[in-house]
Amino acid sequence: MKLKDTFLTPLLKGNPITVLVLGVCSALAVTVTLKGAIVMALSVTVVTGLGNFVLSLLRKGIPNRVRIIVQLVVVAMLVILVDQILKSIEATFPIDKQLSVYIGLIITNCIVMGRIEAFALGNKPFPSLVDGLANGLGYGLILVVVAFFRELFGSGTLFGLQVMPAGYITNNLVILPPFALILIGCIIWAHRAFDKELQEK
Amino acid sequence: MNTNGNIYTIVYTAIIVVVVAGLLAAAAVFLKPAQQANIKAETISQMLQAAQFETEGLNNAQKLDKYAEEIDHAFTIDSKGAKIKDLGVTRDNIELVDGLKAQNYAISGKSGFALGLPVYVFKNGVSIIPCYGAGLWGPVWGYIAIEADGTTIKGTYFDHDSETAGLGARIKDDPAFRGLFVGKKIAWGSRPQFEIIKGGAPAGQENAIDAITGATITSQGLGKAISTWLQAYEPYFSSIIKAEEE
Amino acid sequence: MEYISLFVKSIFVDNMIFAYFLGMCSYLAVSKNVKTANGLGLAVIFVLFCTLPLNYLLDKFLLQPGALAWLSPKLAELDLSFLSFILFIAVIAAFTQLVEMVVERFLPSLYSSLGIYLPLIAVNCAILGGSLFMQQKDFVNVGESAVYALGSGIGWYLAIVFLAAIREKMAYSNVPRPLKGIGISFITVGLMGLAFMIFMGITL
Repeated sequence: MKLKDTFLTPLLKGNPITVLVLGVCSALAVTVTLKGAIVMALSVTVVTGLGNFVLSLLRKGIPNRVRIIVQLVVVAMLVILVDQILKSIEATFPIDKQLSVYIGLIITNCIVMGRIEAFALGNKPFPSLVDGLANGLGYGLILVVVAFFRELFGSGTLFGLQVMPAGYITNNLVILPPFALILIGCIIWAHRAFDKELQEK
Repeated sequence: MNTNGNIYTIVYTAIIVVVVAGLLAAAAVFLKPAQQANIKAETISQMLQAAQFETEGLNNAQKLDKYAEEIDHAFTIDSKGAKIKDLGVTRDNIELVDGLKAQNYAISGKSGFALGLPVYVFKNGVSIIPCYGAGLWGPVWGYIAIEADGTTIKGTYFDHDSETAGLGARIKDDPAFRGLFVGKKIAWGSRPQFEIIKGGAPAGQENAIDAITGATITSQGLGKAISTWLQAYEPYFSSIIKAEEE
Repeated sequence: MEYISLFVKSIFVDNMIFAYFLGMCSYLAVSKNVKTANGLGLAVIFVLFCTLPLNYLLDKFLLQPGALAWLSPKLAELDLSFLSFILFIAVIAAFTQLVEMVVERFLPSLYSSLGIYLPLIAVNCAILGGSLFMQQKDFVNVGESAVYALGSGIGWYLAIVFLAAIREKMAYSNVPRPLKGIGISFITVGLMGLAFMIFMGITL
């Protein structure tokens, strides 16, 4: 596969959330505000990218019996580093607090493990890095779209700034977590209506 | 090379574990001061906001400076309202959230926790007391600033771990909710001393505010946290009010 | 009484799927029919129930700030909490691997119905999530953490069996082509989540 395809496929045709249905947990919980969604998306992108890269470097030496544990240890290390760094930067500290356990749950985010198993263990480090980053971005794309609607209609703001006219009564349903599921369902609907190849029989 | 042998597997795992542990320990040691500074600056900024000082646009260092400038004295009290310990006025005297949790246990009489309720007094006479309790999903806590007269609320600031954004989280994010507290009076001696009432506080009741619509449990939890902690502070503030009247 | 309240609360109010959306990947992937959903659900209950108290002890005696004081007062200053993610996941992964081996060796019939799901569970967010929530909730003893684990597991089990039952019926309904399969499942789970919110105001 060409590098360009490696990069472009996960953004639309093979999007981790809407097509592969990976990493949904956090997509629902962190999309109430755009800021949180973007920080989460970047964290996941960094972890998938570097995780893919490191495990692709290690791929020839990993003993098969402890493969899953080695993967988990490397991913967990990257997640802890991301968490620690977010906590120590003044600007991201409050956002890290808002994301609470969901940063830690990147470890079990299926995108990370899924891409390592499916791509990094069979490819060279550089394409693996690209694949990881692209998957993280594809995930982030959906997160940002969902967060855009939820923050706009749920709080009447974008990035914390008021955009809805004064007197707009916020829609509490949009803020509740189940609505994120319904919204993603609708995104999948729209996506598959355009791309008929993806429809299920 | 045989990558499936026992010895290889063990050695490989050991090396990975050592490398990872080393990296993480290094990162933790290296980043710890910055994290602590963030936590401290956040706490201080919340106290300053409770006392209605302007902190908008200040960075961490400036917030700490502002605090050092405004603080007069700080100490802890026991259940009778008597001073136990002077906390000093350095920037290290802040009770962080973990400390509040232990104090909450102490207030509810759980064994093994020594009571030492913090009071922070600013130069303009405003005292800050904390509160801590359970919201809907996790803990809620905050700071209540009380004017020099010992009954009027100057302002508040509340925080939470995981309340629903846009609903329960409004205890922190909505300035209008915080604004409701300003100028209200604590009814020392009555139970509860302060109420958050679902469906709206009756006009003229000075020790009550409206609950947040759609966040009943968070509001109730916060109300309970406030009244529990106020009760613990009651002996101290009663003595202040008495001293003032004399 | 407290245990019962915690138990009921963790099944219905703090439901892993409907309140926190943990373990969504396998939840959506393995809920096409009731039989497999049943197997995965039972495996989740079992693993949660075993690993969460284990992680609780780990947290209490090793990871929390000052937790090492029982070893020697000199170590009381040490804060190892930054290691919690990695140790929790290591316990979970090691445990699932161990159980898989034991079950395969001694209970082949159980293995054929449950064993295939065990490796899947190591990366199920609900398991790690349970341990991370346990850290936030500060339970006072192992018993509480075990009750919480059991309740959360049962909550997850109920959720996946419900969805599988609905999806089995839905296979025969006339859903718009682009929504078929995963799309309509998302919306169904959303509606189920809304229904589960009625439990939110319950105080026990």
